[in-house]
Order: sequence, then C-alpha cells, then structure tokens
Amino acid sequence: MLKIKEGSLQHWALRIVGFTFLALIVVYIPTQSETARIGQFTSAFTLIIAAMSLNMVLGFTGQISLGHSAFFGIGGYTAAILIRDHGWSPGYTFYAAAVIAFVVGCLIGLPVLRIRGSYLALVTLAVAVLFPTLLRWKKLEWLTDGAKGIDSVKYDELPVWPILGELKGRDGRAVFAYWLGLLVLVIVYLVCRGLIKSRVGRSLIAIRDNETAAAVMGVNVTRTKVLIFGISASMCSLAGVLATLKTGVVTPDGHYVTLLGSIIFLLIMVVGGAGTLSGPIIGGLVYVWLDNTTRGIGTDSTGVLGFLFGWTDQSPATLILGLALIVIMLFAPTGLVGILRKLTRRILTVTPSLSSRRTVREVLQRPSR
Amino acid sequence: MERLLQYVFDGLSFGAIYALVALGLVVVFRGTGHLNFAQGEMAMFCTFIIWQINDWGVPLILAVIIGMVFGFVLGAGTEATVIRAVAKKSAGGVFVVSIALFLGLNSLATMIWDRAEGYTMGSLFPNQPFDFVRILGAEWRYKFIGVLAVALALMGLLFLLFSKTKFGLAMRSVASNPDSARLVGVPSGVVLASSWGIAAAMGALSGALVGGINGQLTPSLMFSVFIYASAAATLGGLDSPGGAVIAGLSIGVGEQLVAGYIPGWIGQDLKLSVALILIFVVLLVKPSGLFGSLKVERV
Repeated sequence: MLKIKEGSLQHWALRIVGFTFLALIVVYIPTQSETARIGQFTSAFTLIIAAMSLNMVLGFTGQISLGHSAFFGIGGYTAAILIRDHGWSPGYTFYAAAVIAFVVGCLIGLPVLRIRGSYLALVTLAVAVLFPTLLRWKKLEWLTDGAKGIDSVKYDELPVWPILGELKGRDGRAVFAYWLGLLVLVIVYLVCRGLIKSRVGRSLIAIRDNETAAAVMGVNVTRTKVLIFGISASMCSLAGVLATLKTGVVTPDGHYVTLLGSIIFLLIMVVGGAGTLSGPIIGGLVYVWLDNTTRGIGTDSTGVLGFLFGWTDQSPATLILGLALIVIMLFAPTGLVGILRKLTRRILTVTPSLSSRRTVREVLQRPSR
Repeated sequence: MERLLQYVFDGLSFGAIYALVALGLVVVFRGTGHLNFAQGEMAMFCTFIIWQINDWGVPLILAVIIGMVFGFVLGAGTEATVIRAVAKKSAGGVFVVSIALFLGLNSLATMIWDRAEGYTMGSLFPNQPFDFVRILGAEWRYKFIGVLAVALALMGLLFLLFSKTKFGLAMRSVASNPDSARLVGVPSGVVLASSWGIAAAMGALSGALVGGINGQLTPSLMFSVFIYASAAATLGGLDSPGGAVIAGLSIGVGEQLVAGYIPGWIGQDLKLSVALILIFVVLLVKPSGLFGSLKVERV
C-alpha cells in the first residue's frame, strides 16, 4: 500500500498523469472514433448533466424530485421555440433556457418544498406527468405545436471555433455537438463543485442529514432549498437544450421529457453514486454503455445471453437496469464511486497535508460574526 | 339532470378504481412508512398472471383468487428479501428500489406477454350490452357498480383490520416505532411482509377489475390509474384509508364533471392536470393531505 501526502510532489505528479490521461481520452473520442460512437458520448454528456442537476437536489440536499424531466423539457422547448419562431442563434438559447428554468424551478420549489418525504415524491411526480399534457394542450398549440412537437431545430451553419477548425457535414455536426456537450458539462461540473465545496454545499448537506438541526445551526432552510431547486432546474434545462440541438427535434413524448426521463436521471445518479461529484459522470457513461450493448439482445442472440433472453423479441435492457439498480442498492448503496473509492484506498492513501490542517484550525479560530 | 347524473355515475365508477389502488398505497405506507412506486406495476403483472391462468381454462373468479395469492407472495417476498435489507441502510433507498421494481416488472411483462394489440380480458361482473340499471335516465353498468361495491367493501375490511384486530394494532406499532414494537414482542418481520403482501393482493384484484372494465390487457394497463391513485392517496393523506377512498371518488367525479362541462378548455386530455393542480393547492394548505395525520419528529 502506498501512502502519499496531499500536496506533495508525488501527489501532484499523480494528479497531472490522471488529468493528462483524461484529456487524451476526451480528445481521442471525437478525432478517432466513428460518428455513431461520438453521438453516444454526446448523449451520455446530456444525461450526465441532467443527473448532476438531480444530484444537487436529491443527492446532496435529500429532497426527492421526480420532476426534473419537466425542466429538461423546458430547456428543450425554450431552445426550439426561440430558434424557430424568433430566429435566435442557438448558442444564446442556453442563457435564456437557464434563466427561464431557474424562475420556474424557484416558483415550483417555493410551495413544493414545504412538503416532505413521500408527499414530495408524489407531488414532483405530478409535475412530471403534468408537463407533457400541458405541451399537448390545445390552447398552447400556437407555442408548442401540440402533440407533434417542433422539428428541424438546428444550427444553420456551424460556428467556427478556433481550435476545432471548420467542421462540415454530418460528421462535423457530430463532432461539434460532442465539444459543445463537453463544454457545458465541464461548466456545470465546476459550478456544482464550487457550490458543494463552499458554505452553500455544507448547508445543503446539513439539511439532508437533519433539517431541524440545520435550521438550529443558522441555515435558512427554505431559502437554501428553493435556491438549490432553481439552480438545479436551470442546469437540467441546459441538458434539454443540448439534447434538442443534437437531435433537432423536441416532442411531448420525447425520451427524457416524460416521467421516464426523471426515472433515468435518478437511475444514473444512484448507480454512479448519489451525493458524490463524480457519481453522475460514471453513472451516465455506464448507463449509455449498458443501454447500447443490451439493446441488440433478443431472439437472435447466442451463447449465455441467447439462453437467458432468447425466448423474447423485446430488449431486456430495462429489466437488466432494474435488476442492477436493486443489486446496487443492496450491496453498494454508495454506488460505483463508493466501490471505486474502496478499491483505490487499498492501493493508495492520500494523507492530508499540514497546510490543509492549518486551514481547519484557522476556520475554528475565526471570530464568529 | 340526466347528464349530471351520468357524469356522477361514471365518475364514481372510475373513482372506485383509483380508490382501490390508492388503498394499496395506504396499506404499505401505514405498515412500513414507505411509498411503493411499483404498486401499479405489481398489479399489472398479477393481472397478466390472472389472464394466463384464465386462458388455461380456469374460471375467472378462481383465477382472480389465485392471482391474489400470487400477489401476496410477490409483495411479501419482495419486502422480506429486498426492501427490508435496503431500508436498514437508507430510507430513500426503498424509493429507488420500488422504482427499479417498476421498471423491471414492466419490462418483464412486456417480454413475456409480447403482443402490441394486447389481450382480451373478461369481466368479473355481467357485461352484456343490456347489463345496466337506469336511474332517472342515466345508465349505470353492472360492472361499474360491482367495482364500486368491491372498493367500499375493501375499505370497510381494512378499517376493521386496522382498528379492531390485534394485527392492525401490530401494524400501527411497527409503523410508528419498529424498534420499540420489536422489544414488546411484535413480530415486526411478519407484519412488514404482510402489509406489502396485502397491498399487492389488493393490487391484483384492482388490476383484474381495471382489465375487466377496459376489456383489454397491455403492460401499460395500470400506469395512468396509478397516477390517479397516487393523486388520491396524496389528497386523502397517505396514512388514511378513508381519505384514500373519499379522495379517489371525488377525483373521479370531479374529473368527469370538469371534462364534461368545460369541454372547450379542459376536455379529455387535460382532466388529469386539473386533478393534479387541485392536489397541489390542497397540499399547500395541508402538507399531509386532507385526512392524513401530521408526523411529529423528534430531533
């Protein structure tokens, strides 16, 4: 077993190696893989962003939400409507969607977060079910085009980004969508990280662990909950914008606009590791991989898979995911990240350095305001 | 008058189904303090079992009873093997597992009984074209009256179970404090498993009734019913059987009236939204439903 100090030379070397490795993978995918593979990664990024946003509310603050598919839909529809009806440049719709979803999130959060536990789950479920029916509503058809949704929302011409050079055709679009998704993902990740590592993050975790105690310690519970609900909603809407820009279509039955979307976000978050920053990333990649590999399983499979699932025409993907979810909840409630952490701790431990200890002492000694 | 009465009858009939499924949710919530998101899918799966047994030549009424026994085993088994182990680790985990069950059962049913157009399902009650009573000009079909009667009877039975029997007392004690209950000798494992079992058996019955009313059986049989039922359970208060039935019936009648009298604005596709928004408003004033009891927590 290896023991290294935080902030030491070895620690920094390890960090740099890890980061370089990650960067190489990230660059390798869009330059060397085929278009379909790039597209899979782009959809993984979209799902990861949505799962991250849910993680802020459920994983860190402990408030069950099944309504995030609605925020995803708000993002998708904002982008589609602004681009088609108002001729916006697609890039700016991200800002508009974030603002609209933040306001809607706060408005929904304000009454909803008074309710606790199972009631909250049911009320947010209602939000998820309501949203598609509202989109289909006759009186809103002028805006949403009803059941058929809005299509051909796309970049007319891909903007030229300095490093990427000029991208053209179907392959170029896929590569551009990949980098756009990655950019948004990195920004959302950094925002989440910043929030969690700050005072706000500590209040969120305090609320999750014991709401009354948090209030007693001086956390403004209602304000924090509503705010984080709004922030989370606006992050989720960014994922919606990305999905719409990638496929060019948004409908009320869209994959992640209905309740099923909320369930998938939840699944990704839990499988990866709820209440951890890297959980949604790992969960999202694993989900998309599983989804793509199990889709083909069915009548024409051979070997073990054929023996297990050869009797049906339907894809067992959902069944496998459901079972995996149960197994994870039974044996590894901290998700894949928890397992990975346990494994790395066997090989390597990073002991906190003096400097970080000093910070703790400084915090403790700081006169209270 | 005739039109109003017709809406009320239709509403009561659909409301009775919502109430039945909501009762299942209430039983699990009262017994274990958890929300079973898979209640509807368990019911759907049991209904397919009932259909299958009936298809093999067993009379429907017998098939329903076998299906209910299967449901009891399914529910109790799930609780004893998975739910209890997860609940020890985290309360939120149970919710996640019930979502996993929802996905798994739905997918399994789609895989086993894979046919796009669904299957024809018989009704437990007389269902010929002339099987209805006429009250002041409005028609009320026997199968709808039957569903309402079953729902009311079950509510009565549950009330007796909760308040008059020793088992009901054990259930309440386990729900309010499992550790103390175990210390005074309540077999909490049996109680927890049987509340899931009872709920799933009730689900099987409600599934058979819904299937009989629709006349058709697909894996999405219970989905919208479950949404309505969860709305009814929320509105009535998750721990109140009477509340679930009253809320279920009033949601049923309310949606028929709204959809019938304001067709231009609301119509068929938006009646669900009206119910959900109403619940939103009620929960703002009473965060634990109309008849639910407020849980006091100690820090």
